[in-house]
Amino acid sequence: MPPEFDHEALRELFLSAPESEATRIVAIVIAVLLLTTVLWLVRRRGLREELTPIWVVTAVGIFLVGIRLDLLHGITRLVGAWTSSSTVFLLSSLFLMAICLSYAVRLSRASVQIKNLAQETALLRGRLDRLEHRNADD
Amino acid sequence: MNHLDSPDEQATVSRMHRPILLIPAFNEETSLPQVLDRVRETGIDFEIVVVDDGSSDRTGEIARNTGATVLRHPFNLGYGAALQTGYKYALETDTEFLVQLDSDGQHNPADLSRLLQPVLEDRQDLVIGSRFLGSDYRMGALRAIGRLLFSAIARLFGLRVSDPTSGYQAMNRRVLSAHSQDSFPVDYPDVNVLIAASRQGLRISEEPVDMSAETRASTMHGGFRSLYYVYKMLLSTWTASAIRRK
Repeated sequence: MPPEFDHEALRELFLSAPESEATRIVAIVIAVLLLTTVLWLVRRRGLREELTPIWVVTAVGIFLVGIRLDLLHGITRLVGAWTSSSTVFLLSSLFLMAICLSYAVRLSRASVQIKNLAQETALLRGRLDRLEHRNADD
Repeated sequence: MNHLDSPDEQATVSRMHRPILLIPAFNEETSLPQVLDRVRETGIDFEIVVVDDGSSDRTGEIARNTGATVLRHPFNLGYGAALQTGYKYALETDTEFLVQLDSDGQHNPADLSRLLQPVLEDRQDLVIGSRFLGSDYRMGALRAIGRLLFSAIARLFGLRVSDPTSGYQAMNRRVLSAHSQDSFPVDYPDVNVLIAASRQGLRISEEPVDMSAETRASTMHGGFRSLYYVYKMLLSTWTASAIRRK
């Protein structure tokens, strides 16, 4: 007969496991790298300033979690996960979904603007053709 | 019978800018000359506007050589966007009436005046040329189911149309204004657009027309595009239903 486990106790055991110092360092390094990359891209004109806030906020968020790992533990308890790594995975997935949706919205807006510009180009070129035609007739 | 033959009607048209005959075209150098010839045979005084939707062949050049006004997109934008460029041109040139006709030869220009007449007389804002009224036009089973589905959806919104995918239409300036909004679809302006127009209080009716076997539709709605088409129509119909009824 299989032994009976106290699942809550097991979960508590997982949650109370000490995080290694390496986790903290990795989080801080990722945050610094992300922030540095964002700033470098802005400086190189590869990324527009108005698109940076979400990345800067993300970098700051990772940095905060790195220096205060208990925050991550709190969220883990809140969402009912067993390990902090599950929570990180969940938050990353949510972040990616949010960013994809945000870019889909921006892309929709840009598509309409591009379509309007192309139509405007066609109309202006048509008007130019008519003017040139009229001038040639005169 | 040419409905514009009567002196009163000709006078009405001559007081205003000539109606526009809008032909959206994408790589139609083969069929376009015949379409333009058949249009001229009707004898109706249209300004023919060909919107060349970024063709890689001689579509624009052929149209220009026949004296048509050519509006050329710098790149391919889609059938709906090409139509909308024509609508915007009509508004810009203070044109009151417009008829649109496909460039693949599917629509018969002999029906032009029948479509335009109710709009000229201000009995309707938008007239759709239906291939199913008074004729036994045949189509594939899937397409027939689609047609029934979208006709039924249109009926849910109080709009009775037998041919919701027909691109052969005549319209007045009120419709042109409504269709020039950013919400006008760039790909499939079909039942979704009709429902939106109907909810904006525009008067819509159908007239029987003669249509040959589909050519454009087969390239626009084939394969996986059919699934996307159904999805897109249902979504944009739902969006159109949000328009407050006038």
